[in-house]
Amino acid sequence: MIPLNWIVGLGAALFAIGAVGVMVRKNPLIMFMAAEMMWNAAALVFVAYARSFHAMSGQVMAFIIIGTAAAEVGIGLAIIVSVYHHRHRLDIDEVSQLKG
Amino acid sequence: MTYALWPEYSVVIGVFVTMIAVMVFNRRSIQAYWVGLATIVVSGIITIADWSSKSLPVALYGHAVTVDAFSLVVNGLVLVAAAGALMIGWNDKRYGPDFPVLVLLALLGMMVLGLANNFVVLFIGIELLSLPLYILAASRGTGESGEAGLKYLLLGAFSSGILLFGLALLYGASGTLVFTHLDPAHMILPLAGAGLALTVVGLVFKLGIVPFHMWIPDVYEGSPLPVTTYMAFGTKVGAAAILMRFLFFGFSLDAGWWGPALGYLAVLTMVVGNLLALAQKDLKRLLAYSGIANAGYLLVGISAHNMFGARALLFYLLPYGLAVLAAFAVIQFVAGERDSLSLDDLTGLAYRSPWLAAFLTVAMLSLAGIPLTGGFVGKFYLIQAALFANQPGLAIGLVVGAMVGLAAYVRPLQRAFSKAAGESSEPIRWPVAGSIVLVVAVVATIGLGVYPAPVVHIVNHSAAFYWLH
Repeated sequence: MIPLNWIVGLGAALFAIGAVGVMVRKNPLIMFMAAEMMWNAAALVFVAYARSFHAMSGQVMAFIIIGTAAAEVGIGLAIIVSVYHHRHRLDIDEVSQLKG
Repeated sequence: MTYALWPEYSVVIGVFVTMIAVMVFNRRSIQAYWVGLATIVVSGIITIADWSSKSLPVALYGHAVTVDAFSLVVNGLVLVAAAGALMIGWNDKRYGPDFPVLVLLALLGMMVLGLANNFVVLFIGIELLSLPLYILAASRGTGESGEAGLKYLLLGAFSSGILLFGLALLYGASGTLVFTHLDPAHMILPLAGAGLALTVVGLVFKLGIVPFHMWIPDVYEGSPLPVTTYMAFGTKVGAAAILMRFLFFGFSLDAGWWGPALGYLAVLTMVVGNLLALAQKDLKRLLAYSGIANAGYLLVGISAHNMFGARALLFYLLPYGLAVLAAFAVIQFVAGERDSLSLDDLTGLAYRSPWLAAFLTVAMLSLAGIPLTGGFVGKFYLIQAALFANQPGLAIGLVVGAMVGLAAYVRPLQRAFSKAAGESSEPIRWPVAGSIVLVVAVVATIGLGVYPAPVVHIVNHSAAFYWLH
């Protein structure tokens, strides 16, 4: 049986990779994928703790995270495609008509 | 049989009926707007009926949701926000046929946030609020609107990820998903601390507090105008409600863990938000920075961590939202077919349309906090709460922020009351639905400033978390 701390450590590593990916990469698709990775890291940690507590609640949360992520991917890809149709290039630095 | 959740159920039914109306009546249908408005009215009536019912407060589904006076007040506020957004964008061809459906869906998310007492419900509420707003932000179909939608989507997904990981760590530290069962005294400390920090950062991202505010101006500027109105009012209500609920239910006895940090963020937000508002040339961006500054005022109510803070926060949401509705309605009228309005476009407004200039003045003065408007009363209660909590720094920060803000809000008024350069412009059209929103918002803003007692009474009743004193 894999120790709990290793799984949580893996979750933390995935979360960190995802967070760095969102901040460093320029392509919206990759950024979006990295954000989804953060979500899945959280789902992994929920499942790991649920197993160690012998409780169902964390696993319910993991399922809800997966379902919501699917909905978010549907909407997100639609928005990314519609932005691509306008410019025919995907680079977050070029999507900057609105100056912030 | 309890009717506690019927305000939410009626919105669910309304969403389905509105969807069917959009499908049946040939895409662009006025019927969908009427159904949406009727849903909001019905839900509001049930909320009022619940308010006087004896069965509240009630915890349902194993303490997953708590229906109490607090959640009913949040219901009321977000219903006003949704009605305002729907009527400002009433039957406008620019926003696509799904506009009323998505407004109702986001409304449902905000209402869920008001009654959450469980990580699952918190997460579902946040996503139910965000997902329709991503679509709405991009719904205009132009380059700017798409850009706003894309930025909102990426930063929304990012902040939800932070929030989720924080919740996961808190679950690991405590072994429960229910706020009121969290027991900070018996948690594994570093895990609980990291979880709390990440969760609060995720929620504060949604509220738009200063180190995490950079997405707000771009998203507000690029989104269609009614959607911006909805974000500025409804999203702030939802995020503030869930932040308060989460911290006051889960960590009320350990205010030392989060109170000082939120206090510093509040002061930073109030000052920086108002300072950046000074430099803006676009009116929507100015109001976006004003929204950031106002989120800082709201945070004062949370970090004060006493009954007065909770009351002041709930009260302040109403005058802030009304001022936002009025200001955006004026922008919508003056902008007409355009999507945004620069400060220069306001020049001579007082001569083109004295009424619009007067209404804009009331809205801006209320945001600035001038006496006889609701904004003044709200800020007064916030300062009172900060002083009762023995945190004079918060009160000083609020006053300094409001002073800087006054300068920012006076600039558009100065343009509006100066003479135009001579070219005659076409008269401004007053859409009926938008006019109703504008007049009601302005009258209510002044009414709150002159006679706030009824609202104060409701708010005092609803902020009665028994462990605060």
